[in-house]
Amino acid sequence: MRIPILKLHEYLLISVQVELDDQTAMQFQEDLLSKIHESGATGVVLDLTSVDIIDSFIAKVLGDVVSMADLMGAKVVFTGIQPAVSMTLIDLGIHLQDVPTALDLEQGLIKLRRELEEK
Amino acid sequence: MEQRLRNIILEHSDQIIKNWLVKLDENKVTEYGETISQEAIEQTNREFVNVIFSNIESNGGTNDLQEFSEKIVNLGWPLGYLTEGMQAFRTVAIRTILEDIGETNNNEEFLSIMEGVNDWVDPIKNRLINEYSSNWTNIVSLQKVALQELSAPLIPVMEGITIMPLVGTIDTDRAKLIMENLLNGVIKNNAEVVLIDITGVPVVDTMVAHHIIQAAEAVRLVGSQCILVGIRPEIAQTIVNLGIDLRNFPTKSSLQKGFRTALEMTGAKVISENEGEGDEIENILNSIEKE
Amino acid sequence: MKGTLSNVPIAKELDIVGARQTGRNIATELGFSSVDQARIATAISELARNIYLYAKKGEITFQQVEGVAPVGLKIIAKDNGPGIKDISKSMIDGYSTSGGLGAGLPGVKRLMDDFDIMSSDEGTTIHVIKWLR
Repeated sequence: MRIPILKLHEYLLISVQVELDDQTAMQFQEDLLSKIHESGATGVVLDLTSVDIIDSFIAKVLGDVVSMADLMGAKVVFTGIQPAVSMTLIDLGIHLQDVPTALDLEQGLIKLRRELEEK
Repeated sequence: MEQRLRNIILEHSDQIIKNWLVKLDENKVTEYGETISQEAIEQTNREFVNVIFSNIESNGGTNDLQEFSEKIVNLGWPLGYLTEGMQAFRTVAIRTILEDIGETNNNEEFLSIMEGVNDWVDPIKNRLINEYSSNWTNIVSLQKVALQELSAPLIPVMEGITIMPLVGTIDTDRAKLIMENLLNGVIKNNAEVVLIDITGVPVVDTMVAHHIIQAAEAVRLVGSQCILVGIRPEIAQTIVNLGIDLRNFPTKSSLQKGFRTALEMTGAKVISENEGEGDEIENILNSIEKE
Repeated sequence: MKGTLSNVPIAKELDIVGARQTGRNIATELGFSSVDQARIATAISELARNIYLYAKKGEITFQQVEGVAPVGLKIIAKDNGPGIKDISKSMIDGYSTSGGLGAGLPGVKRLMDDFDIMSSDEGTTIHVIKWLR
């Protein structure tokens, strides 16, 4: 299963609509990085509104992709993390400290613009 | 045999009641009621003994017990009043029966009298205790619900800014509830900034701080931000003395200061009426819209 | 509804998703809140992944139990793998032998109410319970 990645000007938009299994998550990591490479995107919004479970492995894959994208010059913002998911992540001791977050896609784009301007 | 004992008890009810009241008086029972008037105690005692007798007469077929124990719970009388009262009744009843049938040297008979009396007294006592404790459990669970409702209200003050005042002690159960309310409220109100006001939290120890930090982290994950306000001097002292690291999110001494920071974070600000001549609300709205 | 509710064998990566979906459905049926459903599903995911990573094969069993609360969901993760060499170390936050986040076991313990682990060179069994309140 592959997660579609949409391009909007210099941004990439991803809305995860499927339950993330390990394979899908790994595939996504690869797809996103090559898309950043190919499009020269400077910002990525990853919307997780429909994701109702993130375990430590998925969290690591997603957290890693943020650092990797950063190395390639693209800022990633997570949006729409559900309260239940947020609480389980905290219980797991995963704080994703370096990952910018926003309430929804719209706020995510605003945040991206702000972060990119600051640079 | 049983019928005979029952008849003896009913026949001598006046005597038993009198002796029972005397016994209750000399027992410690009245000590419980230091704040209760002597009159109330006497009245309750009489009610109690009537309940016991009506139960013996009807063989446990009345609702008196339930009503009586409900009343005792609501008046806040201790369970010990009921158990000691029953104990005293048992002693008085056995003594009365023995006096009635005359001296007996027959251990068998004595034992069977004891058993007979126990067979009435114990069910009444058990029912009273059960009623009492279930009433009590009921009250506790109602209060728990009431407490939960009070627990963590979330107040949206303006677009993007929400306040959660915390009042009272925070334990692990409450912390979980607070976190749930907080996160769901953030999503519901679309809050970019949440002010957590701990003015009403009496003690902030490592555990409480840990819960607050976790809540703030969780709020950040869903895409909002926390400002911790209401840090009193003694709380600032404990936080530093305990080595608790709160640097990851802004803290302010008062709600006012925190609110100002929240306005800045959402790109809005308060402009005095005298300066702007009427356009200030427009300005605030514009700046919010720009966000 | 009492006793064993379901049994999910873990042998391939996709079984992890199957196990947590089963667990979530059971949790929903038992009446757990959406947050607790997420906690339970996440804990199962961690347990199933541990089996897959370290023992290759094993199974996850779901049981309804009674105890400090009238209803609890007990999850048993059992494998015949090499076992955990140092259990106390495996319970330290951030400790991992697989290059993961190391959130696994201590994380599971925090997600659930009761946690019990037995491990020898013949395998590992982990019991966890979430109580319905």
